[in-house]
Amino acid sequence: MGIYPVKAGWFRAPEGGERLWIGLALSWCVILSLAMPYWHFKGKQNSTGESYRVTPLAFAQRVGKFVTSNQVGELQGVAVVEASPGGDAYLQAQMWRWYPILKFKKGQTYRLHVSSMDIQHGFSLLPMNMNFQVLPGYDHVLTITPTEAGEYSIVCNEFCGIAHHAMTGKIVVE
Amino acid sequence: MATTFPAPIPHQGLAPYVDPPAVGGNHLAASSRVCPTTGLTVCLVAERYIRFNAVAAVVALLIGAVAALLVALTRWPAVHLLDPVWYYRLVTAHGTSMLIFWIIFMEIAILYFASTALLKTRLFSHKLAVASFALMVVGALMTEVVIFAGKADVMLTSYVPLRAHPGFYLGLILFAVGALVGVGNFFGTIYIAKRDRTYEGSVPLVTFGAIAAAIIAVVAILHGAVALIPTFLWSIDLIGAPDPAWYRLMWWGLGHQSQQINVCAMVSCWYLLGSLTVGAKPLNQAVCRGAFVLYILFINLASAHHLLVDPGVSAGWKIWNTSYAMYLAVLASMIHGFTVPASVEVAMRKKGFNKGLFSWLANAPWRNPGFSAFFLSLVIFGFIGGITGVTLGTQQINIIAHNTLRIPGHFHATVVGGTSLAFMGLAYYVVPLIFRREYPLKALARWQPYLFGGGIVLLSLSMSLAGSYGVPRRHYDVEFTGAQFATGFDSGAHLMLGLVGIGGVVAFTGLLIFILQTVWAVFLGKKNEGKMEAWS
Amino acid sequence: MNKLQIPSLVDQLKEEQQPDAGDHHAPGTMVLVLLLLVSFAVYYFANWKALADVWHVR
Repeated sequence: MGIYPVKAGWFRAPEGGERLWIGLALSWCVILSLAMPYWHFKGKQNSTGESYRVTPLAFAQRVGKFVTSNQVGELQGVAVVEASPGGDAYLQAQMWRWYPILKFKKGQTYRLHVSSMDIQHGFSLLPMNMNFQVLPGYDHVLTITPTEAGEYSIVCNEFCGIAHHAMTGKIVVE
Repeated sequence: MATTFPAPIPHQGLAPYVDPPAVGGNHLAASSRVCPTTGLTVCLVAERYIRFNAVAAVVALLIGAVAALLVALTRWPAVHLLDPVWYYRLVTAHGTSMLIFWIIFMEIAILYFASTALLKTRLFSHKLAVASFALMVVGALMTEVVIFAGKADVMLTSYVPLRAHPGFYLGLILFAVGALVGVGNFFGTIYIAKRDRTYEGSVPLVTFGAIAAAIIAVVAILHGAVALIPTFLWSIDLIGAPDPAWYRLMWWGLGHQSQQINVCAMVSCWYLLGSLTVGAKPLNQAVCRGAFVLYILFINLASAHHLLVDPGVSAGWKIWNTSYAMYLAVLASMIHGFTVPASVEVAMRKKGFNKGLFSWLANAPWRNPGFSAFFLSLVIFGFIGGITGVTLGTQQINIIAHNTLRIPGHFHATVVGGTSLAFMGLAYYVVPLIFRREYPLKALARWQPYLFGGGIVLLSLSMSLAGSYGVPRRHYDVEFTGAQFATGFDSGAHLMLGLVGIGGVVAFTGLLIFILQTVWAVFLGKKNEGKMEAWS
Repeated sequence: MNKLQIPSLVDQLKEEQQPDAGDHHAPGTMVLVLLLLVSFAVYYFANWKALADVWHVR
């Protein structure tokens, strides 16, 4: 019984149904373990964590430069910026906005740099439901390829203060 | 006091039971009693601190429960009860009260029980028990006061550079030091039991599980110290802000491992309740103990599960730590998931419920809340908590789950439907046996595990489904009122959030029945002199 | 079959106290855990499928 001491000599190899189940469970764990490396090489969705140290000030300057050279319009007072296919795009997170509005072309690949000016934020692309962590001091590079055209929202899903739930941004894919 | 210890039993089989001395091996005069129901020798000092810790745990549970109800009613879009300030404040209070205070007070009580009563020894040190309890109470009070004063709206995780009042970190540090002292007292008790030979052979399985939990607790608390002490020093401007990525790694060394303490304590509870409710015996001690060892060895880097879509750590690091550290711990849970119900099945079949595949289960004592809480906990933990946890913690799949409601959907099935429900089942035995009082409304107690478990299942599944639309966790307003760019979710997500609210209300009702009955029983219940009335 | 009474706690604890039940005949449990494994596999692979439908990212 589980509540009484047991005398020495209790060791027995697993047998019967118990042994069968341990074998099945272990095999399942091996499958689980192999699935991730498999997807890393063959799958199209991976979080490689590519990132570089950057100060918020330096990152803001890169965002500014990106906006100045690639701006194509304005929406509700916010710059709409079209990144060149295969090139870099920048997204700045701060309490409580995503800046600027990004414009992508379907099927093209972009290096999207995301970082925070202040505290931690969560990049959540809706309604696609793709989520990445955004930290101050880290330039998080997401090499992304939009697969469908449409208007997408970015919301924040890491608590970032009292107006956290009103922190939204936009990505347009043509 | 009459001692009705079982008569000596003839040696049988491989490892015969040896009748222990009638009074525990190393107890001082008049410092122990023999439980008339179980025959266990209970150390009176330990018993006092089991009671104190259990009462503190239930107080924390009540605070956490009220916060939970208000939070659930806010996330129910049609109700949307609180304003944002109090919503975020109460999410912080809910997480801290439940995940830290309720669970850890309860675990210290379990450690004292599993060492003293099951090994027939006295508690190692009365002074350490006082120091541990005092530090934990002071720490918990300090943290709660700071949170409710509105100085720490930072969530339980308090990710730097989000900053709380220093009292928030200091309270948690004091609480953790107190818990560490309690764990030290537990190890001291194991030591003197071994030294004084109060038991023969190996420690009972339940004690073994408690030792595993205690070892993991030490490692978890050390990670907590590494994360929170610099953060505290930063909050009083002594040093610069800790690196956010470093903080996340260290904090989750505390945050994830402490979940493994819960799992160990819960699995020990399963074995204990299996024994108490249907007389279940482990099929194979080596298998059960081996599975606990797997928890100790392979859980450390599960901290990585929270960093799967983070910058600063590579894909190789994420994948290696997810699979290496996780899947052998998953194996351990899958093993317990077999051995626990199998031991119940074997015990029930021995009693004659041998017909077909499931008559052992159909005839189990479902009217005994100790049993129903235990078995529901097992099913909810395995089928909902376990499956979602492994899936969400898969490196790439985390992209479609990180920080959405799928995450709380998962851990409400593990730590609430699993651990808390198992602890409730334990209470249905601890109160009659340790507090020696009877539950007042037995019929209500019989329903309580079903009500609570059902509410949590509804809450947890609808959180998971809402999260699969991308609905964020810890988020006040899914309508995004006042946001610069309007966005939102379709009706499916709203329906799921409504069900989250309903599940929350049902679970709260079940929880409130548990708290009121337990408090009533402990302070005003009928005294039973330790001879508990049978539940079924 | 007559419905048997489950013995009281005291009676159960007085039963023979071998550490292990030793008996591994638990067919009902095997069915339950196989059900768990199947649900696990279905949910797990459904999630890979859902992941395959989102934007490509590295």
